[in-house]
Amino acid sequence: MLDLHDIHHRWQDQPLLDGVSLRVGAGETVALLGASGSGKSTLLKIAAGLEAPQAGRVCWDGQDITGVPPHRRGFALIFQDFALFPHLDVRDNVAFGLVEQGMARSAARAQAVALLARFGLAGQASARVWTLSGGEQQRVALARALITRPRLLLLDEPFSALDADRRADLREEFGRRVREAGMAALLVTHDEAEARAMAQRAWRLAGGVLHALW
Amino acid sequence: MSAAGLIPRVWLAVPLLFLAAVAVAPAWRLLAEGASAGDAAWLGVWADPFWRGRLLWSLAQAAVTVVLALALGVPVAWVLARRAFPGRALALRLLMLPFVVPTLVAAIGVLALWGPRGWPGAWLAEAGLPLDETPWLLLYGNLFFNLCLVVRAGVEALERVDGHRVAAARTLGASPWRAFWRVEWPAIAPWLASAACLVFLYCYAGFGLALVLGGPRWATVEVEIYTLVAHELALGPASALAAWSLAIGAAVALGHALLERRLGVPARWQPVPRARPAGAAQWLGVGLAMAVLALVCGAPLLAIAWRAAVALAGGAAASLAGDPQVWLALGNTLRFSALALALATALGLLHALAAHGLARGGSAVRALAYLPFVLSPVTVAFGLLLLAPGWTASLSLLVAAYALLAYPFVAQSLGAALDALPAHWAQAAATLGAPPRRVLVRVVLPLLAPALRRGMAFAAATALGEFAVSLFLSRPEWVTLTTLIHQRLGRPGAGSLDEAFALAALLMLLALAAFLLIDGPRRATRHASHHASIASAHARPA
Repeated sequence: MLDLHDIHHRWQDQPLLDGVSLRVGAGETVALLGASGSGKSTLLKIAAGLEAPQAGRVCWDGQDITGVPPHRRGFALIFQDFALFPHLDVRDNVAFGLVEQGMARSAARAQAVALLARFGLAGQASARVWTLSGGEQQRVALARALITRPRLLLLDEPFSALDADRRADLREEFGRRVREAGMAALLVTHDEAEARAMAQRAWRLAGGVLHALW
Repeated sequence: MSAAGLIPRVWLAVPLLFLAAVAVAPAWRLLAEGASAGDAAWLGVWADPFWRGRLLWSLAQAAVTVVLALALGVPVAWVLARRAFPGRALALRLLMLPFVVPTLVAAIGVLALWGPRGWPGAWLAEAGLPLDETPWLLLYGNLFFNLCLVVRAGVEALERVDGHRVAAARTLGASPWRAFWRVEWPAIAPWLASAACLVFLYCYAGFGLALVLGGPRWATVEVEIYTLVAHELALGPASALAAWSLAIGAAVALGHALLERRLGVPARWQPVPRARPAGAAQWLGVGLAMAVLALVCGAPLLAIAWRAAVALAGGAAASLAGDPQVWLALGNTLRFSALALALATALGLLHALAAHGLARGGSAVRALAYLPFVLSPVTVAFGLLLLAPGWTASLSLLVAAYALLAYPFVAQSLGAALDALPAHWAQAAATLGAPPRRVLVRVVLPLLAPALRRGMAFAAATALGEFAVSLFLSRPEWVTLTTLIHQRLGRPGAGSLDEAFALAALLMLLALAAFLLIDGPRRATRHASHHASIASAHARPA
């Protein structure tokens, strides 16, 4: 269970997050809506450990992890543009986290190929990531995030880089895979329909504070 | 998290201490020597008509080169940026060549063409217009290097001009010429001004070209410093002249730094589409532009190749192959360059990685990597002579001086690549469980590899062609290809000149081979295009 306690953060002397507190329970998907520049991506980076809050605490299951670096948090972040590594093929992108956990490269690759097959990407394992379509890149990013069984999925507008006419289909597929994985997830988006399709609870971030939506 | 903090900041101490020891301390020693040189101190050199003439000529030849390079370079750049024609891509690629060619090779190329034994040079001499003993050879040599610099800067700037703005100007009634003057020129002017500063700096601080092509009559300050130190042991006036070189170099570099800050690139822009030339006049324009490039930048290299081939066929091959000096020079050149490249790569990597992402004073710390560009090789070598006279015959000092001149290429190339590297890849690796050291090894360094190779390729070409430092600090048994070419040029007789041509061709081939081997042009281009395609596929604000 993720708890953000009274997070304060300023950007260029303007308060971006002004005492934000948020909880994501086990197996639950929580959506965070807000306009561009409202601070929702910053809050996500604070949860991931990529940025330190200027005040406030980040806790996991009651334990303060504010000072824990991102590689020790056991969370996975899916970026808006997926951030697939261009120097690695699809299989090595997916196997990346397993190798970091100390698994032998060959075993990690075998697991990656198996997961890619489940995601309908068996034929693309040795493809370069820039040869994939947007939807395929998103699936690779999700596979790369899920393969290490993270404690929490952090999703930073995972549909915004996709074509509008394919977004609804992909959203459904993506939501199903996240639910199947049974993980807690914090979804940042500016699209309310997306939040309704995926999240049990939702908040809007405006003026540095959260407003409950549902 | 960005790529910042991937190596501890303390590593920055290594390149900074190196710079302090090999660049700042010698420069400081030079200034002190110049200030204490009695009559010849600082202002004294301006009071002496001879030295004043040399200083003014040094400034004038640099200024005239700037004007000529801009006058010829801007139209050529416009043609390359706005016209689609066969051979355009090849011409753009060949524009890199002068950046790899050692200055001494370029000087020999100009001599091979326009010198008294060159074909057009001899013809002009017969017609009563001998070019040797005139300033034209030096200016031509300056243009060989700097026209390409201006053209590349111009093409880059023109390709960043927003086509929608040009189209808007046209729909508002501007003719093509008026649209260029009112929309394109203001956008490219800062780029050209920045290039002009570099041209001025290179021409003012240049040594090899001025030594070979200027002759005693048109010698620049850098050549005079060498003559004073090496032949007359007159350290006082030499120090005062070197102090002025330092001051002028610093002033121009400051101007360049201020201009660089004005080089804005629009976040998104629609490039002006390239049009196929229509009609004879436009084709003539393309032909003229390519002819200018061929005459200024291509002809000297072809002349060397031709003269070297003739010389080798005429017996120079046997005499060179049987000369132990040649083999010694070749071995030394390769050995010194390899050592300098290793040191320059280590320093450049540490500088770029440790300085990246520094919040306070970051740009100043990064700019320090450019310091060796500001100091001329002559001032570096002379300063080291003054600072550590007991060390001048030490190999480590020679290699350090080589590395000083080469490492900015590595640091600059890596710095730019790190800036362009989106932070999200390092962040993604961290959230996938990679600690900072692993992020560096598994993500950042592989992505930086093309930039590292590019920087190393320029560093290798610089080290292979190094001349001024070798001349100052070298011992007889440390003869390099450049100093050997210089020796051969100084010997009377056609045979020696032929050997100089053949050695220059060998040096040119070495520099080119090192560049192509390290840079691997196809691989680098493909990798860059991957990045570009990924970046463009995801070009959205975060």
